[in-house]
Amino acid sequence: MCRKGLRQNNNFFSSCHVWSTLYTCKLYYQVLNFGMIVSSALMIWKGLMVITGSESPIVVVLSGSMEPAFHRGDLLFLTNRVEDPIRVGEIVVFRIEGREIPIVHRVLKIHEKQNGHIKFLTKGDNNAVDDRGLYKQGQHWLEKKDVVGRARGFVPYIGIVTILMNDYPKFKYAVLFLLGLFVLVHRE
Amino acid sequence: MAAAAVQGGRSGGSGGCSGAGGASNCGTGSGRSGLLDKIDDKPVKIDKWDGSAVKNSLDDSAKKVLLEKYKYVENFGLIDGRLTICTISCFFAIVALIWDYMHPFPESKPVLALCVISYFVMMGILTIYTSYKEKSIFLVAHRKDPTGMDPDDIWQLSSSLKRFDDKYTLKLTFISGRTKQQREAEFTKSIAKFFDHSGTLVMDAYEPEISRLHDSLAIERKIK
Repeated sequence: MCRKGLRQNNNFFSSCHVWSTLYTCKLYYQVLNFGMIVSSALMIWKGLMVITGSESPIVVVLSGSMEPAFHRGDLLFLTNRVEDPIRVGEIVVFRIEGREIPIVHRVLKIHEKQNGHIKFLTKGDNNAVDDRGLYKQGQHWLEKKDVVGRARGFVPYIGIVTILMNDYPKFKYAVLFLLGLFVLVHRE
Repeated sequence: MAAAAVQGGRSGGSGGCSGAGGASNCGTGSGRSGLLDKIDDKPVKIDKWDGSAVKNSLDDSAKKVLLEKYKYVENFGLIDGRLTICTISCFFAIVALIWDYMHPFPESKPVLALCVISYFVMMGILTIYTSYKEKSIFLVAHRKDPTGMDPDDIWQLSSSLKRFDDKYTLKLTFISGRTKQQREAEFTKSIAKFFDHSGTLVMDAYEPEISRLHDSLAIERKIK
């Protein structure tokens, strides 16, 4: 499919390549290929974000505080629809202000106002006390805006890879390196 | 999924852009030299058990024969079409990425939804384009009319080689510039007829086949 040499032709796109060398032409194809793979993954992720309404539709359980329901390394699917109210007993994933790691726990108590504004308290199934110790200094309740989403489904154990990659950065680089190598070798 | 488009037609992988399974298809062996290759340039040697390498080298040699022996001019319209579709899709993806970065999630929802839908629509268009417009055509060549008055005649080459099969089918299509009618000729032969035991493509066996196809179409034209 590569153009051998520069030939005169009559379409505007090709005429952009008249000035460039064969190498640039090949490079553009390779870059575009790679770009398509990355774009597909990106679009699928954004699509999931839009459909579920949550900013992080898939999360990995990082601690054992929800055993025996969820173990470390389980993958969770979340939704965050406005129409579904949060009720006691549901498992929610929330983020505490100032911290970026989301936490997966169960809702224990809810205070609800007439206009739908709620404040709720959470606790991990496997923890002895509720989460007040985890909240920000002076914060006693969580609000809707802290919620990333509600757990709707899960796949066990698959997320262990992500945990390993976070705990051992060398493992992450090794995996990326091997992937890159594989792609390069496969192409030749 | 959307992986095989820029290489799609060649590698026969899953439809859509880039090569998750397909190999980069710059003619094996002869891809590096940028200038016009002669037919008896260094012989092409490939792994004879690798189906896609065999098909690629046969396709490239057929292209060489048609372009060099008969001095036709290659037209990149089909490939450029695919390239533009892919570029537009990537553009949507980039727009989505940047917009989401600048306006964090909940506000960016409508723009994101728009970009995602357009992206998948473009993927659909690409699949339709590859299946119906491109089919398995790997060369479109023009023969400039010597008198300069009539529109060019178009020659199209397309081929197929099934997985794990040894029968290679090459189809040459001639579209007359003047009458716009289409004529085709094809042959199906085992690849064993063109490669020797070490995997070198023997042009002496392959070139006559192509010339035969070409002449059968060219002669008909003269008679008419």
